[in-house]
Amino acid sequence: MEFFATNGKRPVRLSEATRRFAYESLHHKYGLQTKEVMGVSLDDIEGFGNLSQQEQYDRAIERIAEEAPLRICEGELLSGAATMGYAIKHFVPACYGGKPVFYAVSHLTIDFETVLKKGVSYIRKQAVSALELHRGTAREPFAASCIRCLDSLERFHKRYLHALRDIEGYEENYKCLQNVPFSPATSFREALQSLWFIFAFVRLCGNWPGIGRIDYLLGSYLEKDLADGKLTVEEARELLAHFLIKGCEWVCGGNYGSGDAQHYQNLVLGGIDPQGNEVTNRVTYLILDVLEETGISDFPTTVRISKRTEEKLLRRIAEVLRYGGGVLAVYNEDLIIDSLVGYGYPLEEARSFANDGCWEVQIPGKTYFTYTPFDALRILQEKTLGGYNTELAYPTFDALYKQYVAHLGEHITSFGEYLRGMFSDKECTVHHTYSPCTVVSLFEQGCIEKGLSYLECGPVYNLHSPHIGGLPDAVNSLYAIKKLVYDEKKVSLQQLMEILEGNWEGQEALRQYALNKYAYYGNDNDEADAIAVALVEDFADLCDKLSGTCGYLTPAGISTFGRQLEWSPHRLATPGGRKAHEILAGNFSPTPGTDKEGATAIIRSYCKPNLRRMVSGAALDVKLLPHTVEGENGICTLVALLKGFVSLGGHFMQPDIADAELLKAAQAHPEEYPTLSVRVSGWNARFVTLCKEWQDMIIGQMGGGESC
Amino acid sequence: MLIASIQRFCMHDGDGVRTTVFLKGCPLSCAWCHNPETQSFQPELLFHAAKCIGCGACGVCPRGVHGFAAGHTLDRGLCTRCGVCGEACPTEALELCGKEYTAEALLDIVLRDKDFYGTAGGVTLSGGEPLLSEEASLFLKLCRERGLNTAVETCGMVSERLLRGAIPYTDLFLWDVKDTDELRHQAYTGVSCKPILENLLLADSLGAKTRLRCILVKGVNTNEGHYKALAELFHRLQHCEGVEFLPYHTYGDSKAVALGQKSKARTDWIPSEDEISYGEALLRQGGVTVISRRG
Repeated sequence: MEFFATNGKRPVRLSEATRRFAYESLHHKYGLQTKEVMGVSLDDIEGFGNLSQQEQYDRAIERIAEEAPLRICEGELLSGAATMGYAIKHFVPACYGGKPVFYAVSHLTIDFETVLKKGVSYIRKQAVSALELHRGTAREPFAASCIRCLDSLERFHKRYLHALRDIEGYEENYKCLQNVPFSPATSFREALQSLWFIFAFVRLCGNWPGIGRIDYLLGSYLEKDLADGKLTVEEARELLAHFLIKGCEWVCGGNYGSGDAQHYQNLVLGGIDPQGNEVTNRVTYLILDVLEETGISDFPTTVRISKRTEEKLLRRIAEVLRYGGGVLAVYNEDLIIDSLVGYGYPLEEARSFANDGCWEVQIPGKTYFTYTPFDALRILQEKTLGGYNTELAYPTFDALYKQYVAHLGEHITSFGEYLRGMFSDKECTVHHTYSPCTVVSLFEQGCIEKGLSYLECGPVYNLHSPHIGGLPDAVNSLYAIKKLVYDEKKVSLQQLMEILEGNWEGQEALRQYALNKYAYYGNDNDEADAIAVALVEDFADLCDKLSGTCGYLTPAGISTFGRQLEWSPHRLATPGGRKAHEILAGNFSPTPGTDKEGATAIIRSYCKPNLRRMVSGAALDVKLLPHTVEGENGICTLVALLKGFVSLGGHFMQPDIADAELLKAAQAHPEEYPTLSVRVSGWNARFVTLCKEWQDMIIGQMGGGESC
Repeated sequence: MLIASIQRFCMHDGDGVRTTVFLKGCPLSCAWCHNPETQSFQPELLFHAAKCIGCGACGVCPRGVHGFAAGHTLDRGLCTRCGVCGEACPTEALELCGKEYTAEALLDIVLRDKDFYGTAGGVTLSGGEPLLSEEASLFLKLCRERGLNTAVETCGMVSERLLRGAIPYTDLFLWDVKDTDELRHQAYTGVSCKPILENLLLADSLGAKTRLRCILVKGVNTNEGHYKALAELFHRLQHCEGVEFLPYHTYGDSKAVALGQKSKARTDWIPSEDEISYGEALLRQGGVTVISRRG
């Protein structure tokens, strides 16, 4: 029973039983069980079709609470489970006429802090007074739904208590659940059980919430129990392992397109708390222990690092990263806190940042988040260069660049119009009615008080981020035009347009020249990177101008999340020598094949723009070959990259140890590599569950000059 | 300084993340040379035939070195190594290896990665024999002044003056000991190993920290006598941190071919993992600190 590693042999610390639990979970045991019952049936509810949407939703949640299969795994230390298949597909798992009725919610981290410290009974009190407040108004149905969904949660909880009471070996589970999640947790185990139970219930209802700052949430409980001698460190590690293992209950293999491990179950470790105290504690290290040992990749884990981060933690990050699988990423915490404060968040809120389950920064438990991606390269090609119109005339490179920014501006303006269309008043205060989502709304501060759901701007902060994609490709295209046309005058703009329109046909020498003779974004070439610097600044200005004028905050972000694949059919040849329809850059990483100077140059290029302005985030993927991280020097290398990333002003970096040859072997023999995991973007995927196009794209991202 | 190449993010030429600068020119001519493009003290034209698309851009050559009658042909005898063809070649099939840098210009380049060096990482001068450049010690001094850790990979075949000039500014010498057997050393490197070992002892007596880097060529020096001699040498040194084996590989051969030389790749020279481990084990038995990347 060994856990897969791209590189090296994983250590053994957990008990044999826990390791077996992990192994079986990762090898689909519970995932396949979950698919056996896709959802409960609503067919027998009389007049269901005539009920209001809210009423239908409330009935669906009641049914789920009453009828969802319970699962109690052998020897589990924590109880509760999300046992129905439609939840894995992002639906509320309740069917009418054989089909699920409601889509569920993701991209959020819910408010576990209130659950742990005050208990769900506190939330109920809030809901009761909110119902009084909103009685007789349009908000009454939502307020009433809050109470009904809390009743459903209670019903589900009682079923577990009843089931656990009479079986031997689960006395502690039963005891914990007698207290939590309704009352405040009084011990580490209760806190963990409380966290897990609410997570499991919210997921049972189809939603995919993130966990957030687990060490911040649990650290004080653990320290107290250790000090009181109630628990040993080893026992705590086993408990945390069970938490992570149970989080793999949706792992079921098969082909998923973009992978099977992306249910946005984020963990965020380390950093400072709202008062500015360091959070890193034993929970931080124990979580890293478990990730290191089992390679569980279902919880994309991001560590907040800064110049203050202790060397010991940086080394632990490096040690865990070294096994491959891309299970860890890092945030540059000080830059992000600065970025959030600069955007208008109070300092204490900024310090508590986590993410949406992927990497987009948000204040957990208080934020509605979604994003709208767009292809910056396509705007350049189709608008600014007119689909390669040979009658174009830009007298200078600056004139061309200005026109491009104007076109980006038009895009952001129309995005603003789209957002305004979601409201029924000019001031954008009254959101159109949206699909019900009471279960997550219970755990998002603002919703209950306002009497508005998560999707109707109930939370304290409501974000709709424009995410620019293809930014490195747009930068490279602009740089190639600058060099070929305006600086070196190798061709006129008209000639270049003709050549590009012809997809470089018959122009191999010039194409090779453009490919090889210029150092593009990612090679630490100040001249090329200056275009990235300007573009980031101009894009941020456009987003900031829109923010707050359309019912939402619109913090800027840079991402593709793999969309470079779906965008490729619409892309024309690039001035940098790429032919039409090639798969180009992911996130804010260099275009595959253009990075020739290695990881340090990539990080330097990436850090040159003022990434504080990318308030939603800007992700850099760095792939390293196994031999670069061998031995003690390999640890030093990874630590050096982390430190450089911080001191140069990076935002979010996901280093992965990967090997194209190994991935090709897994592509050919998937059965031999069921748990080989790779970092895709904000999430990991077991490589063999990606479809062929995604696999090829990831293999294509290897290479480059990352080794010497 | 005539530089063959500069490699950032190097992990194999000293500790931590390093920028390695390869200088051109070497007094040795090892049969197994991994960096044949650094042997000559002159710039040289590399031609990577596989990259050539036959576009004719190299026709800009003022001496008519490049012919196109039957594929691309190269008359190296006519070449003055001016580099014009390399600049014109769009695929980088042609490349002039060897560019002059001042110590200051080189410093600017290596400083770019200073945020990644930390206390362990830094700059490595390699080659070729870097210490033969008069400017090497000035460059090392400038690095030191900027707080960069400095390492020098040397074959040890340099004058006492140049060696003494570099010692004060070098944190670690990666000292190549190709062989400990005088006859084999002469046969395979073209020179005696005596001055190299004398210089090593001199450097040690002056307090220079060293790491012995020993090429391992199967059937040539993979024998117990050599390992024993290495252990003895290690114990004679006061400031040697250990011995590191460099197993022979054939990756350098494509560069030899690009230089217009005959292929010299000897796959029979590649030591197996077991042979390397055996050598390391013998050294350890002899009380030597072995520096190994593996494990």
